[in-house]
Amino acid sequence: MTRRLLLGAALLAVIALTGCASMGVEPWERDLLARPAMALNDDPIALALDEHIYFSKEASTGGLGFGGGGCGCN
Amino acid sequence: MAATKGTFAKLLAGACATLGVAATPSRASEVDTAALAYVEPDRVKALEMVIAANHDLGDGLLGRIKFVYDALTGASANGAVPVYDAVQTFTRPSGRGTYRIQPGDTPLDDTFRDARGALSAGLTKPLGRLTKLDFGVYGSGEHDYTSLGANAALSRDFQKRNRTVSLALSVNKDTISPEGGRPIPFAEMLSPSQTPQRLDGDGSKTVLDGILGVSQVIDRSTVVQVNYSVSVADGYQTDPYKVVSVVDPVTGLPTAQLYEHRPDKRTKHIVYGLLKRHLSRDVVELSYRFMSDDWGVTSHTADARYRLQLGGDPGTYLQPHLRWYRQEAADSYTPWLLDGETLPEFATADYRLGPMTAWTYGMKFGRPVGENRRVTFRLEYYRQTPDNPADAPGQLAQVDLLPPVSAVFAQVGFTTEF
Repeated sequence: MTRRLLLGAALLAVIALTGCASMGVEPWERDLLARPAMALNDDPIALALDEHIYFSKEASTGGLGFGGGGCGCN
Repeated sequence: MAATKGTFAKLLAGACATLGVAATPSRASEVDTAALAYVEPDRVKALEMVIAANHDLGDGLLGRIKFVYDALTGASANGAVPVYDAVQTFTRPSGRGTYRIQPGDTPLDDTFRDARGALSAGLTKPLGRLTKLDFGVYGSGEHDYTSLGANAALSRDFQKRNRTVSLALSVNKDTISPEGGRPIPFAEMLSPSQTPQRLDGDGSKTVLDGILGVSQVIDRSTVVQVNYSVSVADGYQTDPYKVVSVVDPVTGLPTAQLYEHRPDKRTKHIVYGLLKRHLSRDVVELSYRFMSDDWGVTSHTADARYRLQLGGDPGTYLQPHLRWYRQEAADSYTPWLLDGETLPEFATADYRLGPMTAWTYGMKFGRPVGENRRVTFRLEYYRQTPDNPADAPGQLAQVDLLPPVSAVFAQVGFTTEF
Protein backbone atom coordinates (compact mmCIF):
# COMPACT_ATOMS: atom_id res chain seq x y z
CA MET A 1 0.00 0.00 0.00
CA THR A 2 2.77 2.42 0.97
CA ARG A 3 4.67 1.66 -2.24
CA ARG A 4 1.56 2.36 -4.31
CA LEU A 5 0.99 5.65 -2.50
CA LEU A 6 4.58 6.70 -3.06
CA LEU A 7 4.22 5.81 -6.73
CA GLY A 8 1.06 7.92 -6.83
CA ALA A 9 2.92 10.82 -5.26
CA ALA A 10 5.72 10.54 -7.82
CA LEU A 11 3.16 10.47 -10.62
CA LEU A 12 1.48 13.51 -9.13
CA ALA A 13 4.79 15.36 -9.12
CA VAL A 14 5.46 14.49 -12.76
CA ILE A 15 1.97 15.59 -13.82
CA ALA A 16 2.39 18.77 -11.80
CA LEU A 17 5.56 19.72 -13.57
CA THR A 18 4.82 18.55 -17.10
CA GLY A 19 1.20 17.67 -17.70
CA CYS A 20 -2.06 19.44 -18.40
CA ALA A 21 -0.35 22.11 -20.50
CA SER A 22 -3.54 22.78 -22.42
CA MET A 23 -5.56 23.59 -19.31
CA GLY A 24 -5.97 26.98 -17.74
CA VAL A 25 -7.17 30.43 -18.67
CA GLU A 26 -5.75 33.75 -19.74
CA PRO A 27 -5.36 36.43 -17.07
CA TRP A 28 -8.42 38.33 -18.32
CA GLU A 29 -10.59 35.21 -17.91
CA ARG A 30 -10.21 35.00 -14.15
CA ASP A 31 -13.36 36.87 -13.15
CA LEU A 32 -15.11 33.83 -11.65
CA LEU A 33 -11.97 32.23 -10.27
CA ALA A 34 -11.11 35.45 -8.43
CA ARG A 35 -14.33 35.44 -6.42
CA PRO A 36 -13.91 34.68 -2.70
CA ALA A 37 -16.25 31.69 -2.95
CA MET A 38 -13.83 30.07 -5.42
CA ALA A 39 -10.83 30.19 -3.07
CA LEU A 40 -9.56 26.65 -2.44
CA ASN A 41 -10.10 27.23 1.28
CA ASP A 42 -12.76 29.91 1.49
CA ASP A 43 -13.43 29.50 5.25
CA PRO A 44 -10.17 28.56 7.01
CA ILE A 45 -11.57 29.14 10.51
CA ALA A 46 -14.46 26.72 10.02
CA LEU A 47 -12.14 24.19 8.38
CA ALA A 48 -9.73 24.31 11.33
CA LEU A 49 -12.57 23.94 13.84
CA ASP A 50 -13.97 20.97 11.93
CA GLU A 51 -10.56 19.34 11.63
CA HIS A 52 -10.14 19.59 15.39
CA ILE A 53 -13.53 17.96 15.97
CA TYR A 54 -12.92 15.11 13.54
CA PHE A 55 -9.39 14.64 14.88
CA SER A 56 -10.89 13.99 18.30
CA LYS A 57 -13.61 11.61 17.05
CA GLU A 58 -11.96 9.62 14.25
CA ALA A 59 -8.66 7.88 13.49
CA SER A 60 -7.86 10.04 10.45
CA THR A 61 -6.44 13.53 10.26
CA GLY A 62 -4.61 15.72 7.81
CA GLY A 63 -4.38 15.87 4.08
CA LEU A 64 -5.48 19.46 3.74
CA GLY A 65 -2.79 21.28 5.69
CA PHE A 66 -1.32 21.50 9.15
CA GLY A 67 -4.05 21.58 11.74
CA GLY A 68 -1.90 22.41 14.73
CA GLY A 69 -1.32 20.19 17.69
CA GLY A 70 -2.95 19.67 21.01
CA CYS A 71 -5.02 16.88 22.33
CA GLY A 72 -8.63 17.67 23.18
CA CYS A 73 -8.99 14.03 22.32
CA ASN A 74 -11.67 12.88 24.71
CA MET B 1 -11.36 52.58 13.92
CA ALA B 2 -7.99 54.30 13.41
CA ALA B 3 -7.01 53.50 16.98
CA THR B 4 -8.02 49.86 16.51
CA LYS B 5 -6.03 49.61 13.33
CA GLY B 6 -2.99 51.16 14.98
CA THR B 7 -3.19 48.85 17.97
CA PHE B 8 -3.55 45.85 15.72
CA ALA B 9 -0.60 46.90 13.56
CA LYS B 10 1.54 47.23 16.70
CA LEU B 11 0.48 43.79 17.93
CA LEU B 12 1.27 42.21 14.59
CA ALA B 13 4.55 44.07 14.32
CA GLY B 14 5.44 42.63 17.72
CA ALA B 15 4.59 39.13 16.56
CA CYS B 16 6.67 39.60 13.43
CA ALA B 17 9.57 40.94 15.44
CA THR B 18 9.38 37.75 17.50
CA LEU B 19 9.79 35.82 14.25
CA GLY B 20 12.82 37.88 13.36
CA VAL B 21 11.21 39.82 10.55
CA ALA B 22 10.79 43.57 10.60
CA ALA B 23 7.27 44.73 9.89
CA THR B 24 6.59 47.64 7.57
CA PRO B 25 3.72 50.08 8.10
CA SER B 26 0.23 48.64 7.82
CA ARG B 27 -1.64 48.55 4.52
CA ALA B 28 -4.61 46.18 4.83
CA SER B 29 -5.93 43.84 7.47
CA GLU B 30 -8.57 41.21 7.94
CA VAL B 31 -9.78 39.97 11.29
CA ASP B 32 -11.81 36.77 11.65
CA THR B 33 -13.58 35.86 14.85
CA ALA B 34 -15.68 32.80 15.55
CA ALA B 35 -17.34 30.99 18.42
CA LEU B 36 -18.35 27.35 18.24
CA ALA B 37 -20.46 25.34 20.64
CA TYR B 38 -20.16 21.54 20.49
CA VAL B 39 -22.51 19.19 22.29
CA GLU B 40 -22.62 15.40 22.46
CA PRO B 41 -25.72 14.55 24.52
CA ASP B 42 -24.66 12.84 27.77
CA ARG B 43 -20.98 13.09 26.76
CA VAL B 44 -18.69 15.97 25.78
CA LYS B 45 -19.56 19.66 25.72
CA ALA B 46 -17.12 22.20 24.35
CA LEU B 47 -16.98 25.91 23.66
CA GLU B 48 -14.32 27.14 21.28
CA MET B 49 -13.39 30.73 20.44
CA VAL B 50 -11.10 31.90 17.68
CA ILE B 51 -9.61 35.22 16.69
CA ALA B 52 -7.38 35.32 13.64
CA ALA B 53 -5.86 38.23 11.77
CA ASN B 54 -4.03 38.71 8.50
CA HIS B 55 -2.13 41.86 7.76
CA ASP B 56 -0.40 43.15 4.63
CA LEU B 57 3.00 44.32 5.87
CA GLY B 58 4.06 45.79 2.54
CA ASP B 59 6.61 44.58 -0.03
CA GLY B 60 4.48 41.47 -0.51
CA LEU B 61 4.89 40.31 3.08
CA LEU B 62 1.74 38.94 4.66
CA GLY B 63 1.62 38.30 8.40
CA ARG B 64 -0.91 36.26 10.31
CA ILE B 65 -1.66 35.48 13.90
CA LYS B 66 -4.32 33.30 15.46
CA PHE B 67 -5.49 32.57 18.98
CA VAL B 68 -7.83 29.72 19.91
CA TYR B 69 -9.31 29.02 23.32
CA ASP B 70 -11.52 26.07 24.10
CA ALA B 71 -13.12 24.76 27.23
CA LEU B 72 -14.26 21.15 27.37
CA THR B 73 -16.17 19.18 29.91
CA GLY B 74 -18.18 16.00 30.15
CA ALA B 75 -17.69 12.27 29.83
CA SER B 76 -15.96 10.00 27.36
CA ALA B 77 -15.91 6.25 26.86
CA ASN B 78 -13.09 4.64 28.86
CA GLY B 79 -12.94 1.54 26.64
CA ALA B 80 -14.44 -0.95 29.10
CA VAL B 81 -17.40 -3.13 28.14
CA PRO B 82 -20.88 -2.66 29.66
CA VAL B 83 -22.35 -5.21 32.05
CA TYR B 84 -26.07 -5.79 31.59
CA ASP B 85 -27.09 -6.67 35.14
CA ALA B 86 -24.55 -5.12 37.51
CA VAL B 87 -23.16 -1.74 38.53
CA GLN B 88 -19.47 -1.32 37.60
CA THR B 89 -17.03 0.80 39.59
CA PHE B 90 -13.92 2.37 38.02
CA THR B 91 -11.03 4.29 39.57
CA ARG B 92 -10.63 7.85 38.39
CA PRO B 93 -7.44 8.63 36.40
CA SER B 94 -6.02 10.56 39.33
CA GLY B 95 -6.29 7.43 41.48
CA ARG B 96 -8.43 9.39 43.93
CA GLY B 97 -12.04 8.29 44.02
CA THR B 98 -14.26 6.21 41.78
CA TYR B 99 -17.15 6.56 39.34
CA ARG B 100 -20.02 4.11 38.94
CA ILE B 101 -21.65 2.87 35.75
CA GLN B 102 -25.23 1.64 35.78
CA PRO B 103 -26.19 -1.82 34.37
CA GLY B 104 -26.18 -1.90 30.57
CA ASP B 105 -24.62 1.57 30.22
CA THR B 106 -21.47 2.32 28.25
CA PRO B 107 -18.69 3.03 30.78
CA LEU B 108 -18.03 6.78 30.54
CA ASP B 109 -15.34 8.55 32.53
CA ASP B 110 -17.06 11.74 33.67
CA THR B 111 -13.94 13.42 35.09
CA PHE B 112 -13.05 15.05 31.81
CA ARG B 113 -12.61 18.82 32.20
CA ASP B 114 -10.03 20.88 30.41
CA ALA B 115 -9.20 24.21 28.83
CA ARG B 116 -6.80 24.72 25.94
CA GLY B 117 -5.13 27.81 24.57
CA ALA B 118 -3.35 27.80 21.21
CA LEU B 119 -1.37 30.57 19.56
CA SER B 120 0.07 30.50 16.06
CA ALA B 121 1.77 33.09 13.90
CA GLY B 122 3.26 33.10 10.45
CA LEU B 123 4.61 35.06 7.53
CA THR B 124 4.32 34.71 3.78
CA LYS B 125 7.17 36.23 1.81
CA PRO B 126 7.48 36.47 -1.97
CA LEU B 127 10.69 35.20 -3.51
CA GLY B 128 10.51 36.76 -6.93
CA ARG B 129 7.39 37.03 -9.06
CA LEU B 130 6.18 33.42 -8.98
CA THR B 131 7.53 31.88 -5.79
CA LYS B 132 6.40 32.30 -2.20
CA LEU B 133 7.90 31.17 1.07
CA ASP B 134 5.72 30.72 4.11
CA PHE B 135 6.72 29.85 7.62
CA GLY B 136 4.95 29.69 10.94
CA VAL B 137 5.16 28.69 14.57
CA TYR B 138 2.58 27.10 16.83
CA GLY B 139 2.11 26.43 20.51
CA SER B 140 -0.76 25.09 22.57
CA GLY B 141 -1.25 24.06 26.15
CA GLU B 142 -3.81 22.32 28.29
CA HIS B 143 -3.42 20.99 31.81
CA ASP B 144 -2.02 17.60 30.70
CA TYR B 145 -0.83 18.29 27.15
CA THR B 146 1.60 20.69 25.48
CA SER B 147 2.32 21.00 21.78
CA LEU B 148 4.97 23.13 20.06
CA GLY B 149 5.47 23.25 16.33
CA ALA B 150 6.99 24.99 13.35
CA ASN B 151 6.20 24.75 9.65
CA ALA B 152 7.46 26.03 6.34
CA ALA B 153 6.09 25.92 2.80
CA LEU B 154 7.44 26.80 -0.59
CA SER B 155 5.06 27.33 -3.52
CA ARG B 156 5.61 28.28 -7.14
CA ASP B 157 3.20 29.24 -9.89
CA PHE B 158 3.51 27.80 -13.38
CA GLN B 159 1.71 28.08 -16.70
CA LYS B 160 0.49 31.70 -16.48
CA ARG B 161 -0.35 31.08 -12.80
CA ASN B 162 -2.82 28.36 -13.73
CA ARG B 163 -0.86 25.81 -11.78
CA THR B 164 0.66 26.07 -8.32
CA VAL B 165 2.96 23.46 -6.88
CA SER B 166 3.71 23.58 -3.17
CA LEU B 167 5.82 21.64 -0.73
CA ALA B 168 5.17 22.05 2.98
CA LEU B 169 6.93 20.61 6.00
CA SER B 170 6.01 20.71 9.65
CA VAL B 171 7.45 19.44 12.91
CA ASN B 172 5.60 19.17 16.22
CA LYS B 173 6.81 18.18 19.65
CA ASP B 174 4.04 17.09 22.01
CA THR B 175 4.29 16.29 25.70
CA ILE B 176 1.62 14.58 27.78
CA SER B 177 1.57 14.66 31.57
CA PRO B 178 -1.51 12.60 32.37
CA GLU B 179 -3.55 13.03 35.49
CA GLY B 180 -2.29 10.37 37.88
CA GLY B 181 0.77 9.55 35.72
CA ARG B 182 1.26 7.18 32.77
CA PRO B 183 0.01 3.65 33.47
CA ILE B 184 2.30 0.74 32.68
CA PRO B 185 0.92 -0.97 29.54
CA PHE B 186 -1.57 -3.72 30.44
CA ALA B 187 -1.31 -2.91 34.15
CA GLU B 188 -4.58 -3.60 35.91
CA MET B 189 -6.77 -0.71 37.03
CA LEU B 190 -6.54 -0.83 40.81
CA SER B 191 -8.87 0.48 43.48
CA PRO B 192 -8.02 3.89 45.00
CA SER B 193 -6.70 2.21 48.15
CA GLN B 194 -3.94 0.44 46.18
CA THR B 195 -0.76 2.00 44.78
CA PRO B 196 -0.95 2.06 40.97
CA GLN B 197 1.91 1.05 38.70
CA ARG B 198 3.15 3.98 36.64
CA LEU B 199 5.81 4.75 34.03
CA ASP B 200 8.43 7.33 34.91
CA GLY B 201 8.11 10.89 33.64
CA ASP B 202 5.97 12.47 30.97
CA GLY B 203 5.22 10.99 27.57
CA SER B 204 6.35 12.79 24.45
CA LYS B 205 6.16 12.36 20.73
CA THR B 206 7.56 14.05 17.66
CA VAL B 207 5.38 14.43 14.57
CA LEU B 208 6.84 15.20 11.14
CA ASP B 209 4.49 16.07 8.30
CA GLY B 210 5.14 16.70 4.64
CA ILE B 211 2.65 17.75 1.98
CA LEU B 212 3.17 17.94 -1.77
CA GLY B 213 0.30 19.80 -3.37
CA VAL B 214 -0.77 20.85 -6.84
CA SER B 215 -3.64 23.15 -7.73
CA GLN B 216 -4.69 23.55 -11.33
CA VAL B 217 -7.12 25.87 -13.07
CA ILE B 218 -9.03 23.70 -15.53
CA ASP B 219 -11.16 26.36 -17.21
CA ARG B 220 -12.77 29.72 -16.47
CA SER B 221 -14.98 28.25 -13.76
CA THR B 222 -13.18 25.13 -12.49
CA VAL B 223 -10.19 24.57 -10.25
CA VAL B 224 -8.85 21.35 -8.76
CA GLN B 225 -6.35 20.56 -6.03
CA VAL B 226 -4.52 17.31 -5.25
CA ASN B 227 -2.36 16.81 -2.15
CA TYR B 228 -0.21 13.91 -1.09
CA SER B 229 0.78 13.93 2.58
CA VAL B 230 2.95 11.77 4.75
CA SER B 231 2.97 12.02 8.53
CA VAL B 232 5.32 10.21 10.90
CA ALA B 233 4.61 10.24 14.63
CA ASP B 234 7.27 8.81 16.91
CA GLY B 235 6.83 8.55 20.68
CA TYR B 236 4.17 7.93 23.30
CA GLN B 237 0.78 7.51 21.58
CA THR B 238 -1.07 5.37 24.09
CA ASP B 239 -4.15 6.98 25.64
CA PRO B 240 -3.35 6.83 29.37
CA TYR B 241 -7.03 7.17 30.30
CA LYS B 242 -8.30 4.17 28.33
CA VAL B 243 -8.62 0.53 29.38
CA VAL B 244 -9.42 -2.79 27.71
CA SER B 245 -11.72 -5.21 29.49
CA VAL B 246 -10.59 -8.79 29.95
CA VAL B 247 -13.76 -10.87 29.77
CA ASP B 248 -14.69 -14.44 30.58
CA PRO B 249 -14.97 -16.28 27.23
CA VAL B 250 -18.23 -17.98 28.30
CA THR B 251 -20.13 -15.41 30.36
CA GLY B 252 -18.68 -12.26 28.75
CA LEU B 253 -18.36 -10.69 32.20
CA PRO B 254 -15.23 -8.60 32.81
CA THR B 255 -12.61 -10.15 35.06
CA ALA B 256 -10.13 -7.23 34.91
CA GLN B 257 -9.62 -3.80 33.33
CA LEU B 258 -6.15 -3.38 31.79
CA TYR B 259 -4.66 -0.09 30.63
CA GLU B 260 -4.27 -0.07 26.87
CA HIS B 261 -1.05 -0.06 24.85
CA ARG B 262 -0.49 1.40 21.35
CA PRO B 263 2.60 1.30 19.12
CA ASP B 264 5.11 4.13 19.52
CA LYS B 265 5.46 4.80 15.81
CA ARG B 266 2.78 5.63 13.28
CA THR B 267 3.22 6.55 9.61
CA LYS B 268 0.24 7.86 7.66
CA HIS B 269 -0.14 8.39 3.92
CA ILE B 270 -2.94 10.62 2.70
CA VAL B 271 -4.21 11.56 -0.74
CA TYR B 272 -6.68 14.42 -0.92
CA GLY B 273 -8.49 15.80 -3.94
CA LEU B 274 -10.73 18.87 -4.25
CA LEU B 275 -12.82 20.18 -7.12
CA LYS B 276 -14.54 23.57 -7.13
CA ARG B 277 -16.76 24.71 -9.94
CA HIS B 278 -18.58 27.99 -10.39
CA LEU B 279 -21.97 27.42 -11.94
CA SER B 280 -24.00 30.29 -13.36
CA ARG B 281 -24.44 31.75 -9.84
CA ASP B 282 -23.68 29.01 -7.36
CA VAL B 283 -20.50 27.19 -6.42
CA VAL B 284 -20.20 23.45 -5.95
CA GLU B 285 -17.32 21.91 -3.99
CA LEU B 286 -16.48 18.19 -3.89
CA SER B 287 -13.58 16.60 -2.05
CA TYR B 288 -12.29 13.14 -1.27
CA ARG B 289 -9.56 11.93 1.08
CA PHE B 290 -7.99 8.51 1.38
CA MET B 291 -5.81 7.66 4.36
CA SER B 292 -3.78 4.55 5.12
CA ASP B 293 -1.37 4.01 7.98
CA ASP B 294 0.90 1.32 9.36
CA TRP B 295 -1.41 0.80 12.33
CA GLY B 296 -3.76 -0.83 9.83
CA VAL B 297 -6.27 2.02 9.65
CA THR B 298 -7.67 2.92 6.25
CA SER B 299 -10.31 5.57 5.73
CA HIS B 300 -12.33 7.31 3.06
CA THR B 301 -13.81 10.79 3.48
CA ALA B 302 -16.15 12.34 0.91
CA ASP B 303 -17.41 15.89 1.35
CA ALA B 304 -19.83 17.97 -0.70
CA ARG B 305 -20.91 21.61 -0.36
CA TYR B 306 -23.24 23.64 -2.53
CA ARG B 307 -23.10 27.40 -2.15
CA LEU B 308 -26.46 28.74 -3.19
CA GLN B 309 -26.03 32.44 -3.92
CA LEU B 310 -28.98 34.50 -2.72
CA GLY B 311 -27.38 37.83 -3.67
CA GLY B 312 -24.34 39.21 -5.46
CA ASP B 313 -20.90 37.82 -4.64
CA PRO B 314 -19.72 38.30 -1.92
CA GLY B 315 -23.36 38.38 -0.99
CA THR B 316 -25.87 36.39 0.89
CA TYR B 317 -25.68 32.65 0.52
CA LEU B 318 -26.91 29.37 1.91
CA GLN B 319 -24.59 26.38 1.86
CA PRO B 320 -25.78 22.83 2.57
CA HIS B 321 -23.03 20.39 3.49
CA LEU B 322 -22.81 16.60 3.46
CA ARG B 323 -19.86 14.52 4.67
CA TRP B 324 -19.42 10.75 4.68
CA TYR B 325 -16.63 8.99 6.49
CA ARG B 326 -15.70 5.33 6.70
CA GLN B 327 -12.75 3.82 8.55
CA GLU B 328 -11.46 0.29 9.01
CA ALA B 329 -9.95 -0.74 12.33
CA ALA B 330 -6.38 -0.49 13.54
CA ASP B 331 -4.68 -3.87 13.96
CA SER B 332 -4.43 -3.26 17.69
CA TYR B 333 -8.16 -2.57 18.08
CA THR B 334 -10.13 -5.11 20.07
CA PRO B 335 -13.38 -4.41 21.96
CA TRP B 336 -12.26 -6.85 24.67
CA LEU B 337 -9.55 -9.39 25.52
CA LEU B 338 -10.43 -12.98 26.42
CA ASP B 339 -9.43 -14.25 29.84
CA GLY B 340 -6.88 -17.07 29.63
CA GLU B 341 -5.44 -16.00 26.28
CA THR B 342 -1.93 -14.57 25.83
CA LEU B 343 -1.85 -10.78 25.78
CA PRO B 344 -1.07 -9.27 22.37
CA GLU B 345 1.82 -6.82 21.94
CA PHE B 346 -0.63 -3.94 21.55
CA ALA B 347 -4.31 -3.58 22.33
CA THR B 348 -6.80 -0.73 22.49
CA ALA B 349 -10.56 -0.78 22.90
CA ASP B 350 -10.92 2.88 21.93
CA TYR B 351 -13.81 2.74 19.47
CA ARG B 352 -12.24 5.67 17.57
CA LEU B 353 -9.66 3.18 16.29
CA GLY B 354 -12.35 0.64 15.42
CA PRO B 355 -14.43 0.22 12.28
CA MET B 356 -17.07 2.91 11.92
CA THR B 357 -19.15 5.00 9.55
CA ALA B 358 -19.97 8.64 10.17
CA TRP B 359 -22.20 11.20 8.50
CA THR B 360 -22.32 14.97 8.87
CA TYR B 361 -25.24 17.08 7.69
CA GLY B 362 -24.78 20.83 7.81
CA MET B 363 -26.11 24.18 6.73
CA LYS B 364 -24.29 27.48 6.62
CA PHE B 365 -25.65 30.96 6.05
CA GLY B 366 -23.51 33.96 5.21
CA ARG B 367 -24.25 37.56 4.44
CA PRO B 368 -22.52 40.92 4.35
CA VAL B 369 -23.28 43.39 7.14
CA GLY B 370 -22.22 46.83 6.09
CA GLU B 371 -19.10 47.62 4.15
CA ASN B 372 -16.27 45.05 4.39
CA ARG B 373 -17.96 43.01 7.10
CA ARG B 374 -19.44 39.56 6.85
CA VAL B 375 -21.25 37.31 9.25
CA THR B 376 -21.74 33.55 9.01
CA PHE B 377 -23.84 31.04 10.94
CA ARG B 378 -23.66 27.32 10.60
CA LEU B 379 -25.20 24.29 12.21
CA GLU B 380 -23.86 20.76 11.77
CA TYR B 381 -25.18 17.40 12.94
CA TYR B 382 -22.65 14.59 13.23
CA ARG B 383 -23.39 10.93 13.86
CA GLN B 384 -20.86 8.13 14.02
CA THR B 385 -21.90 4.49 14.04
CA PRO B 386 -19.25 1.98 15.13
CA ASP B 387 -19.52 -1.57 13.76
CA ASN B 388 -20.60 -3.88 16.56
CA PRO B 389 -18.68 -7.18 16.70
CA ALA B 390 -20.70 -10.23 15.69
CA ASP B 391 -18.96 -12.73 17.97
CA ALA B 392 -19.64 -11.21 21.37
CA PRO B 393 -19.50 -13.86 24.11
CA GLY B 394 -22.12 -14.30 26.84
CA GLN B 395 -23.69 -11.16 28.23
CA LEU B 396 -21.90 -8.94 25.69
CA ALA B 397 -24.40 -10.15 23.10
CA GLN B 398 -27.19 -8.62 25.22
CA VAL B 399 -25.76 -5.11 25.71
CA ASP B 400 -25.42 -2.15 23.39
CA LEU B 401 -21.66 -2.51 23.18
CA LEU B 402 -20.82 0.36 20.86
CA PRO B 403 -23.79 2.72 20.59
CA PRO B 404 -23.84 5.45 17.93
CA VAL B 405 -22.47 8.81 19.06
CA SER B 406 -24.17 12.01 17.92
CA ALA B 407 -23.01 15.60 18.16
CA VAL B 408 -24.38 18.98 17.23
CA PHE B 409 -22.14 21.94 16.66
CA ALA B 410 -23.08 25.52 15.94
CA GLN B 411 -20.78 28.33 14.88
CA VAL B 412 -21.11 32.04 14.46
CA GLY B 413 -18.37 33.92 12.65
CA PHE B 414 -17.64 37.56 11.96
CA THR B 415 -15.07 38.93 9.51
CA THR B 416 -13.93 42.54 9.22
CA GLU B 417 -11.61 44.06 6.67
CA PHE B 418 -9.81 47.31 7.46
